[in-house]
Amino acid sequence: MESGRVSRVPRDIVVGVLILAFCAVAYWISLSIKQAPSALAQNVQPSTFPRLVIGVIAILTVVMMAIGFRRADRTRAGPALTVYLTAAMMIGFILVFQHLGILAAMATFAFCGPLLWGAKNYLAVLLFAILFPAAVYLLFAVILGVYFEPGIIETAIGKFL
Amino acid sequence: MDAFLSSLAAFADPGLIGIVLVGTIGGVLVGAMPGLSSTMATALLLPFTLTMEPIPAIALLSSLYCAGTFGGSITAILVNAPGAPPAAATAFDGFPLAQKGFAGKALGLAAVSSVTGGIFSVLVLLIAAPLLSRVAYNFGPPEYFALALFGLSMLATISGENAMKNLIGGAFGVLLATVGMDFTTGVERFTFGVWELSEGIHFIPVMIGLFAGAEFLKQAGKLNLKRVRMTMDAVLLPTWQEIRKCGATIARSCGIGSFIGLLPAEGGTVAAMMGYNEAKRWAKDKSEFGKGDLRGIAGPEAANNAATGAAMVPTLALGIPGSATTAIILGALLVHGLRPGPHLFTEQPTLLYSIFLAMLIANLTFGVLGFIGAKAFARITMIPIEFLWPAVFILACIGSYALEQSILDVWIMVAAGILGFVLARYGFSAAPIIMGLILGELVEGSLKQSLIIFDHNWWMFLERPIVLVFLSLTLASVVLPVIGALRRR
Repeated sequence: MESGRVSRVPRDIVVGVLILAFCAVAYWISLSIKQAPSALAQNVQPSTFPRLVIGVIAILTVVMMAIGFRRADRTRAGPALTVYLTAAMMIGFILVFQHLGILAAMATFAFCGPLLWGAKNYLAVLLFAILFPAAVYLLFAVILGVYFEPGIIETAIGKFL
Repeated sequence: MDAFLSSLAAFADPGLIGIVLVGTIGGVLVGAMPGLSSTMATALLLPFTLTMEPIPAIALLSSLYCAGTFGGSITAILVNAPGAPPAAATAFDGFPLAQKGFAGKALGLAAVSSVTGGIFSVLVLLIAAPLLSRVAYNFGPPEYFALALFGLSMLATISGENAMKNLIGGAFGVLLATVGMDFTTGVERFTFGVWELSEGIHFIPVMIGLFAGAEFLKQAGKLNLKRVRMTMDAVLLPTWQEIRKCGATIARSCGIGSFIGLLPAEGGTVAAMMGYNEAKRWAKDKSEFGKGDLRGIAGPEAANNAATGAAMVPTLALGIPGSATTAIILGALLVHGLRPGPHLFTEQPTLLYSIFLAMLIANLTFGVLGFIGAKAFARITMIPIEFLWPAVFILACIGSYALEQSILDVWIMVAAGILGFVLARYGFSAAPIIMGLILGELVEGSLKQSLIIFDHNWWMFLERPIVLVFLSLTLASVVLPVIGALRRR
């Protein structure tokens, strides 16, 4: 992950600034938390504790930045292209799940995932894309009774049966 | 005594024994697979246990936890890739010994040390948990607030690049726990109009995402990594001479591991590192350490397994997780409607003894499995990762969905996975976020109750001796690492 080269930027400065920005945004959002009637809140408003925690995160971040201030960071090589594509596939899985159903999502992922990761045995990939989703569906939907909204494959199987 | 007998009766059921054996075999397998830790496996398995009764469910997770800790040593010795973080120190001497052609001897000693540490730790659990719960019985909200704060402050010393990052992670977890309806006023916080968030962010999808989703992405960046597996003939029992050489190390590591395990938030990884360091420090001849010294295997293996049962003590007696995996087991207890804490022992005494028996059986079983099946378990590293990890991700998605049958939970899992991956690149660990998320409700609830009791006089916290002790320890746990870091500059 790290190239080993020394960066000019002090250690943890960038990440510290990002966390402080997050704290600022979180604090700003906390301003929209409604106030409760004082009899109900008993002097501890719903926004009090989150703001306290945001303050603690900000203080800890400043301490972290102070500790790393005189220490140079090492430059990090960016993640490999497969990492980005895998992350995109993770998001794609949910979108297919939402719109085409769980079996379609599992089958697509079980087919594309191994290919993206370099599988060369296409027959094995195909078998995996059919058998693994079927086994998982059987376990969760049939044995454990988890309800999945019927998707295109489930509907097609239902019509066929 | 009645509770113990009814636990024994429960274990006369072959079904329950079978569940423990499945958990143990599964634990050794996932522990042996680099990247698949027992923590991740426990998180992935949790949704499967939803339809089970509490005792078999917790017995399954506990046995997986124990066996997974041992399983990591197999690949640490044979492949120089610890299957799980607690086995990292085992590789220091285990792999060099395997390179010299003594893999069977290394695995045999790892099995004996692990079983010894594991059994010692379940005895610690059996004795210490009820005692601690008796002490905690008189705790009020101020004591619980101070205790939870101490638990979070201990994050400063666990894995990760530096103490501050672990504390920030813990605080971030606490902040995540505030999402949803405020339980005293009913006012919504950080829900952004999404009604499903009113009940808060469920910790199970976050756990699965941080452990499995993030690891999936990490593995995506290691596709070119080739591992060389050392060959071995058979696992050998240590000779009497070897046991004499390592006996003191194992005994010392049992104590170290149990003590570390008892501390909130600490776990097997810290215990193993300390076990290794102490084994080296006490050795008269240190020249063989790093080159295949048997004590370098016995020390970490006894220590990391000794931490397993001990880590269950604060988890069960106080509701403060002793490690990342016990945080998930604590989550499982909550999902099954059991509130860990002193009352658990009066309300569910059978549960404690069942966990004790499950862990005892798991320890004995993985000891046997270590001897007869290490060679077969080591083959798990041969499973092509291009099939294994997509399968893990699919199970992670389905497991997250199964809990509430909500797509939002799958989104949360994926978001947590991506966040966990990014955070790990900058030296943040997943475990503190989970700890914070689980302890968040306790911290906020006990703080609010305390403030009401004290009529908003914060100084009254200092008038209670137990609170004072915990707050002093908290201060020390936060300040000492900072001083250490500043001195190293």
